[in-house]
Amino acid sequence: MPRVLILGGARTPFVRAGTDFAELDVLDLARAATAEALARTELDPGQVDEVIFGNVARPVAYHNLAREVVLSLSMPTRIPAFTVGLACASACVAITSAADHIAGGNADVVVAGGSESLTNVPLTLTPRLARALIAASQAKSLPAKAQSLAHVRASDIAPVAPGIRETSTGLTMGESAERMAAINAISREDQDAWALRSHRMAAAGWDDGRLAAEVAPVYVDGHAITADNHIRRDSTLEKLATLRPVFDREHGTITAGNASPLTDGAAAVVLASEARAQALGLEPLAAVRSYAYAAVDPADQLLIAPAYAIPIALRRAGITLDDIDVFEMHEAFAAQVLSTLVVLERNGVGRVPVEKLNVMGGSIALGHPFGATGARIVLTLAREMKRRGARYGLATACAAGGNGAAIILERAA
Amino acid sequence: MITKISGGSAPRPPAPIAQDTRPSVTFIPADAAGVARIVIDRPGDPVNAIDVRLMEDFAAAIAAARNARPRGLVVSSGKEGQFVAGADLSLLRGTSQSDIEKASRSMQRVLNDLAALPFVTVAAINGPALGGGLEIALACDTRIAADAPNVRVGLTETRLGLIPAAGGTQRLPRLIGLPRALDMILTARQLAPKRALRAGVIDEVVHPAVLLRAAIDHATRDTKRKPKGGATVVERAATHFAPARAIALRQARSRTFAETKGRYPAQLAAIDAVAIGLAKGIDAGLDAEARAFGELAIGETGRSLTALVMLTLRQRKAAFEGLGKPRAIANVGVVGLGFMGSGIAQAAAASGLRVRARDRDAAAVATGLSSIRALTTDATKKGVFERREAARIVGRVTGGPDLSGFHNADLVIEAVFEEMATKRRVIAELEQVLRPEAVIATNTSALPIAEIAREARSPERIVGMHFFSPVHKMPLIEVVRPAAADADAVATAVAAAIALGKTPIVVSDGPGFYTTRVLSTMIGEAFTMLAEGDSIEAIDRAMTAFGWPVGPLQLVDEVGLEVAGHAGETVAKARGMTAPTIVQQLVAEGFKGKHKGGGFYRYDGGRRTPNPRVRELLGAPTHPAAGDIAERLTVTFINEAARCLDEGVLRSPGEGDLGAVLGLGFPPFLGGPFRYADAQRQRVVTTLERLAASRGDRLLPTESLRSRRPFFSL
Repeated sequence: MPRVLILGGARTPFVRAGTDFAELDVLDLARAATAEALARTELDPGQVDEVIFGNVARPVAYHNLAREVVLSLSMPTRIPAFTVGLACASACVAITSAADHIAGGNADVVVAGGSESLTNVPLTLTPRLARALIAASQAKSLPAKAQSLAHVRASDIAPVAPGIRETSTGLTMGESAERMAAINAISREDQDAWALRSHRMAAAGWDDGRLAAEVAPVYVDGHAITADNHIRRDSTLEKLATLRPVFDREHGTITAGNASPLTDGAAAVVLASEARAQALGLEPLAAVRSYAYAAVDPADQLLIAPAYAIPIALRRAGITLDDIDVFEMHEAFAAQVLSTLVVLERNGVGRVPVEKLNVMGGSIALGHPFGATGARIVLTLAREMKRRGARYGLATACAAGGNGAAIILERAA
Repeated sequence: MITKISGGSAPRPPAPIAQDTRPSVTFIPADAAGVARIVIDRPGDPVNAIDVRLMEDFAAAIAAARNARPRGLVVSSGKEGQFVAGADLSLLRGTSQSDIEKASRSMQRVLNDLAALPFVTVAAINGPALGGGLEIALACDTRIAADAPNVRVGLTETRLGLIPAAGGTQRLPRLIGLPRALDMILTARQLAPKRALRAGVIDEVVHPAVLLRAAIDHATRDTKRKPKGGATVVERAATHFAPARAIALRQARSRTFAETKGRYPAQLAAIDAVAIGLAKGIDAGLDAEARAFGELAIGETGRSLTALVMLTLRQRKAAFEGLGKPRAIANVGVVGLGFMGSGIAQAAAASGLRVRARDRDAAAVATGLSSIRALTTDATKKGVFERREAARIVGRVTGGPDLSGFHNADLVIEAVFEEMATKRRVIAELEQVLRPEAVIATNTSALPIAEIAREARSPERIVGMHFFSPVHKMPLIEVVRPAAADADAVATAVAAAIALGKTPIVVSDGPGFYTTRVLSTMIGEAFTMLAEGDSIEAIDRAMTAFGWPVGPLQLVDEVGLEVAGHAGETVAKARGMTAPTIVQQLVAEGFKGKHKGGGFYRYDGGRRTPNPRVRELLGAPTHPAAGDIAERLTVTFINEAARCLDEGVLRSPGEGDLGAVLGLGFPPFLGGPFRYADAQRQRVVTTLERLAASRGDRLLPTESLRSRRPFFSL
C-alpha cells in the first residue's frame, strides 16, 4: 500500500469570534489556509487530485465548502472536492479520508483541512415559520400566500441558532464536561492550572517561532492579521480562580477561563503518496501511520471517546502509548483533557507524560474553530515531530455526539 | 487620459495560398418549426471580418430567404464564440473615396434587404458583434445574446476615425433612442451582454448553450414590430420630437467638440448622420452616412487611426518575429505590491492567471491585496467584470511576505523600487527559489536590464517588461530584450503581455529603452525652452492644444521630479549631453511632484498654478511665446524616435508608432511619430535643420529622416 506523507500545511491565525475575522466567512478562511498550504509546500495546484474540508456550522448559500475552495482559488476545475462533518473532529475525517484515498491508490495528492467561522453561523427559522414561508412561496395566488402564513405565531419569528445541546441528552457541551469533571474527580484548581499551562505553552510557542511558522497572515481590508488573539500572557491562577462557573453556577468548576473559546479560523494540510512526493522532490513532515475513531454513549462521558480511539489506533500501528514522543490533544475543556488522561491510565492504556502533551498549548489558549481544529493539531504535531526528529506522534480530538478521533503519525524517513 | 486604441475590427488573416471557394454566408432552409437560418462563417478567417465576398454571399442568402418565405429567420455565426467582429480593414487600403462610399452603400442595401424581409428575423449573437457585426444584428427584428465573457456589442467605428456606415447611425437611435445611441457611437463603447440588455440593444440574454433554441423560439413567436426609439418618454422625445432632438444634438456637438478639440472629425460626422436621418428619413440618413464614411476613410485622421488599429492587431503576431518559442504561463509571481505591482497582479489575475505576490512585510502585502480588490471592484462598477467574475479575479491573487509559492511560477514580474541594488537583490533572491525555466521580468522605465542582471547566475532568463501607469488603463508593454537574453524568455514575456490584454513592443536594452528615451529627450527640450524664456503654461498649453493628453511639465509633476530627473540624466548621459539642472534645483528645494510638495506647478487647494520659483531659479525672464512650441517639441520627439530606429533600439517604425501612441500619448490622429514623419517629411526635416542652426546640433535630423525614404512602404 502506498505510504501517506504529510508534506506541509498552514493555518490562519485563530481569533476570537467577532474580532479580526468578523467580516470573513467560512470560505474566505478556508481559501486563505488552502492557498498558503499550497504555497508553502510549493505545490502546483495542477498536481492536486482532491480537496476535502471539514466544517461544522454549514453555510446556507452553498452545500459543499471544499468545492467552493477549489473554484474560488481558480484551482483546476477538474479537482473533485467534498466537505465532511464530525463535529469538532471534522478536519480529522478530512485528513484520514485523504490518507485512505492515497493509501488505496485512488489519489496521489490531497489537500485536507477544516474551516469555521463562529462569528457567522447560519441562523435558521423555526420549523413552523420555514414551512409556512415555503408553502407561501409555492402558493399561486395572493390570498393563498396569506393563508399559508396564517398559522405563524409571534414566537416563531425568532431565528434558531445551530444546536449546542446534545439532541439525545439535552445537555450542552459545558454541562456534559461538568459531569465528566465530577465523575473523574477533576478539581477546579487542576482545571485552572491546565488552562494556565495552555496559555503559557502557547505564548512560548509563539515566542520561539514554532507557532508563527505554521500560521500564515490573513489580509483583511488592507490589514494583515498575523497572530492568534486569544492567548493570555498575563493570566494567573489567581485571576482564573476569580471567574464564575458558566454552566453550573452552584456546584460547577468550568469557567470561561478553563474552556476553549468560540473561534474563527481555518487550517489545511497537504498529503501525498510517497512516490509522488519523491517525484516532485518535496520533503515531508511526517507519515500517517494509523488512525481510529471510537464513540461512547453521550449520556455517559460525552467527550471521553478519544480514550477509546487511542488504544485502537495504537494497536493498528503496532505500538504502545510509551512509544509516542509527542501528543496533540484537542482541549475542548481542561476537564475533558484531564478526564481523558485519567481514563487512559485507568483502562491500562498507559500514562501520558504531560511534558509531551500539547507542547505549544492547546485549544483553550489557541482557540477552537470547530471544523478546523483537527487540521490544526495534525499540522502542529507533524511540524513538531519533524523539528524534534520524533519517531511517533499522536493527535486526538473529541467531538459532539460522543465521538472521538485518534491519528498516529510517524517519522517519514 | 490617453486615448486607448482598440478597434472593433479584425486582424487580416494571412493570405490563403489557394482561394477558398466555400461561401462565407450560407442559407439553410426552414426546419420543422418553419425557421430558416443564415449562417455566417467566412472560411479561413477566425473572426468573420466583413469583406466584399461576405457581403455578396450575404446578399445571396437574403435573396434565398426571401424566396423561401419561411415563418422566421435566424441569423447566426458558424464559428464558436465569434459573431462578426467588424469590417475587414484591408478593404480600406488603397481604394478611392468613391469606391469606399460604394462599398458602404452596397452593405447598406444588403442590410436594408434583411430589414425588409416580411417575416421575423432574429440575430443570435454568440461573440463580438462590433461595427458592421452589430449593424447586421440591428437590421434584424430581435437580438438574442449569449451570456459569455467574449460577447460584446458596440459600434466601434469612431475608434478608427470612421463612422458606422451600414445603417448603424440610423437603426441604433431608432432602437434605443438618440441619447443612448449617440453615447455608444461617439465613445465606441463595447457593451457586455447584460449592459446591452439594459441599454435596449439586446432583447434577451441566455446561456450560450440555449442561444440557438432561444433564437428559434423568438423567430416563431415574435411579430414584426417597429422600435420605439427609447425606453423612456424623455428618450423617445429626444429621438422623435424635433425641438427636443435639437437640444440633445446641440449638447452632443458642443461636448464632442470640447473633448476632441476638432481633431477627430468622425464624431461630429456621426452626429450629423444621425441628425439627418431622424430629420429627413432613413434614406437621407443612409446617404449622409455613406458620404461621410468615404470622406473620413480617405482623410488623414481616419487613415492614421485605421493604420494604428491595424498595427495593434497585427502586433499580436508580429511581436514574436525573430523571437523564440514562448513557454506556457499559468502561474505568475509578482514581487512588490506597490502601485505598479498591484496593478500588474490585478491585470494578470483578470486575464485568468494565478498570481502569487510578495512584498516586504505582511502590512505591505495587505495594502497591495487591498488595492487589487479595489481595482477589481471599481472595474466591476463600470461593467468591465461581472460580480462573480470579479470574485474569481480577486481569488486568483494570494500573497505573503516571503517567496513561498514562487517555485511554481512560470514568470515572475518584479516591480520593486527603481533602484539598481534593490533590483539586484530581488533577482538574487528569486534565483534561489525559481525553477530554471522560469522567466524573470523586471519592470523598469529606464534602468538597463543587462545592468540589473549583471550579477545573476542565469542572466539569459532576465528580460525587461516596462509597464505603463496606471497598468489597468494603459494598453502598452515595452518588452526589453537584453543582448544576453534567451529568445524563448523574450517570447514568453511577449506572450505574457498579450495574455494581459496589452500590446507589446520589443526593444533593445539601453538607457531609457525606446519610450523613456524619446519622452525624456522631448522633456529635456521643454526644459531648454523654459530656460530660453518660454513660460510653463505656454509650453504645456501648446502641447495639449496640439493633441497631447498632458503637457510635458505637468507630466513631470505627475511622474515625480526625482524619477523624471533620473530618467532624463540617464538618457542625456548616454548621448554625451548634460541634462538641464532645473529639476535638480527644484528637488533640492523640496518640489518633488504633484503629491510631493508641487513641482513646476503648485497645487494649492486643488488648483494648479505655475510655480513662481521656477522662473526665479532659471534667472531668465519670460518672453512672449515665440515660434511654434509644439512643433519644436514634436520634431524633437520624432527625431529621437528615428534615431532609436537607426540605432536598432526599435525593430520597426510600426513598433515605434505603437509605443509612442499607446504608451506616451503621442496624438493618435497623427498615427505616431513615423507615420507623421512620412506624411510631413519635408517639413519635419527643414524644421529640424532650422532649429539645429539656431539651437544646437542636438536637433540635427537623424540619418533615416534625411534619407527621405519613407518609413512605411504603402
